[in-house]
Amino acid sequence: MSAPRATKRVWAIVARREFVERGRDRGFLISTAITLLVLVGVIVATSVLGGGETRYKLGAVDDARQVAERSVQTAQLLDVDVELVTTSDDAAAVAAVRDGRLDAAVIGGAEIVVRSEPPTELVGIVRAVSQRMRTEEALRGTGLTDDQIRGALDQAPLGIRALEPVDDRRRENSAVAFVGVLALYGQLFAYGYWVAAGVVEEKSSRVVEVLLATVRPSQLLRGKILGIGVLGLLQLLLIGVVGLIAAQTVGSLDFPSGAIATIGIVLVWFVFGFFFYAGLFAVAGSIVPRQEDLQSTMTPLTLLIVGSFLIGLNAIGNPSSTLATVASLLPPSAPLVMPSRIVLGETSLLGALLSVAITVGATVALVPLATRIYSAAVLRPGRVRIRQALRASRG
Amino acid sequence: MLELVGLSRRFGDVVALDDVSFSVAEGEIVGFVGPNGAGKTTAMRIVLGVLASDRGEVRWRGRTVDFQTRRRFGYMPEERGLYPKMKVLDQLVYLARLHGLDRDTARRQGERTVELLGVAERARDRTETLSLGNQQRVQLAAALVHRPDALVLDEPFGGLDPVGVDVLSGVLRGQAESGVPVVFSSHQLELVERLCDSIVLIHRGRVVAAGGIDQLRASDSRRLVRIEVGAPNGLWLDRLPGVRVVERFPNGGVVELDDGVREGDVLDGARSAGEIRHFSVVRRTLSEIFREVVGS
Repeated sequence: MSAPRATKRVWAIVARREFVERGRDRGFLISTAITLLVLVGVIVATSVLGGGETRYKLGAVDDARQVAERSVQTAQLLDVDVELVTTSDDAAAVAAVRDGRLDAAVIGGAEIVVRSEPPTELVGIVRAVSQRMRTEEALRGTGLTDDQIRGALDQAPLGIRALEPVDDRRRENSAVAFVGVLALYGQLFAYGYWVAAGVVEEKSSRVVEVLLATVRPSQLLRGKILGIGVLGLLQLLLIGVVGLIAAQTVGSLDFPSGAIATIGIVLVWFVFGFFFYAGLFAVAGSIVPRQEDLQSTMTPLTLLIVGSFLIGLNAIGNPSSTLATVASLLPPSAPLVMPSRIVLGETSLLGALLSVAITVGATVALVPLATRIYSAAVLRPGRVRIRQALRASRG
Repeated sequence: MLELVGLSRRFGDVVALDDVSFSVAEGEIVGFVGPNGAGKTTAMRIVLGVLASDRGEVRWRGRTVDFQTRRRFGYMPEERGLYPKMKVLDQLVYLARLHGLDRDTARRQGERTVELLGVAERARDRTETLSLGNQQRVQLAAALVHRPDALVLDEPFGGLDPVGVDVLSGVLRGQAESGVPVVFSSHQLELVERLCDSIVLIHRGRVVAAGGIDQLRASDSRRLVRIEVGAPNGLWLDRLPGVRVVERFPNGGVVELDDGVREGDVLDGARSAGEIRHFSVVRRTLSEIFREVVGS
């Protein structure tokens, strides 16, 4: 019998299985759906609750209408949204303020009623307007014409010079970077775990012995990591695109180009980070006999990722700190720190490339070692010590 | 021809294999027997490259096997292994592809193999939902799906019901008839005796007996006869000329014939004691040979 020609590389066949089997796993589909729902929910909720401008409701009874109407006009000039609500009498206005239907009401032409804490912006406008109207009234009493009064009162206030002006673009980029780091953390952790769990599944079900009679351990490992990695990358892309569309739809992005760039950077760093961690997760899986024992061998990796995540969050606030600078160059933390520094424009192209080079270099150095330990450990029953596996792989 | 040549392997201080050599010709079924811990599994794992030998080599058609030749072998490990959550057919197609079949051939072969082993109606179920016996059949299907050049099966009959045993026996015969060398280990010695062209008996890591069942029997020069008559037990058995009683039953027993004594003489002697119910030349079973070799 002649051997049929292999039409495809073995690792590609392994990768395809990993991708297909995990991709159609019910748990995976459900968790993806939940992630997308939560993401869209959060984007919509922030836009409805805090993202948009506040609209104040100001109540006024007939005799206070004038003050209220001029307040609304003034508010418009100041870009504050105020809606005027006419109430039948003072009692009705007070009742409406009490149960929250109105933010404030002008009653008796003499008072502003609020429930508790006065809405500063609104109350400030109404008070300034009422004060000006009274001043005008008083000046009119002295016989000045309206033009004279206006000429005297319309004086420009002092200008403001901010020493550190707010950069809306940077603020939005920080927010997007935060989401990006969060997504990277979740994705690196989840898919790293899958590599480990996949290795244990094969070891504990003993199917690995059937596989390794046909496939080299390095091929099996490479295929597994690639298949799971591609799935993770596509899921991340899906999350990014859905998030972008949702944010655009509700109008919470003023600078969509920044968000698109961030998605790209996060995807690229997922690839670097995943390949760096995947080999380690595979080792963690290969040295334990059962799924239940995985937690213990994964703990060092968990700490590494959580630590990097915390530094990454910190770096969004202080992207130029020494900690952030150093952590963004070194492999365990670089994938979770470098992206936000790039997004915030805190690193040169050279710095980013250096970080990539170090991370890729570390991965290239680590993968053969991880493969050696994996190959020796995965066929040994029970719990295997790493040193034991290394010794066995040498002999 | 699949050859094991001088395989040796130690685990620490334990010698698992000590210069083990035997061969399996194309179309031959070889039974690999021996007590637990004798080294059967170690030898088979070395043939498949899952384990390395300290010394010796495995040859296929006269050449040392390499990774590409091993890919064409079919293997059923002692500790069964399948993906529990994968569907039966998907699993077989996947394994066939790993063995180098293209997608269409793999699918065709997957379907043929589930048919062959009588699990076609479960082909689209997840493997973990099958009974252990059916999972066993799927495991065998996994060894066969790529039309292997040689078959190495570690305890393939373990856990099968009599129908399963028949199905599997038929499949192995079919494979051998199509020219595939088959070697399998088993503790079911009657089955081995019935199915195998030759037998390799291994004990404490060494091959202690090998050859066809008749050859193994020939190592014992004793001639035994079993006789039962319709008379109450008496001394007639001891009065038979030229024999020595080996074993007694209520109505007879097994006797060893002295040199020069013919079976017919014994039969005549027994007739005088009563009506003959049973008379047969006893051939040693593999179990007996096994016990003799291993017990010594």
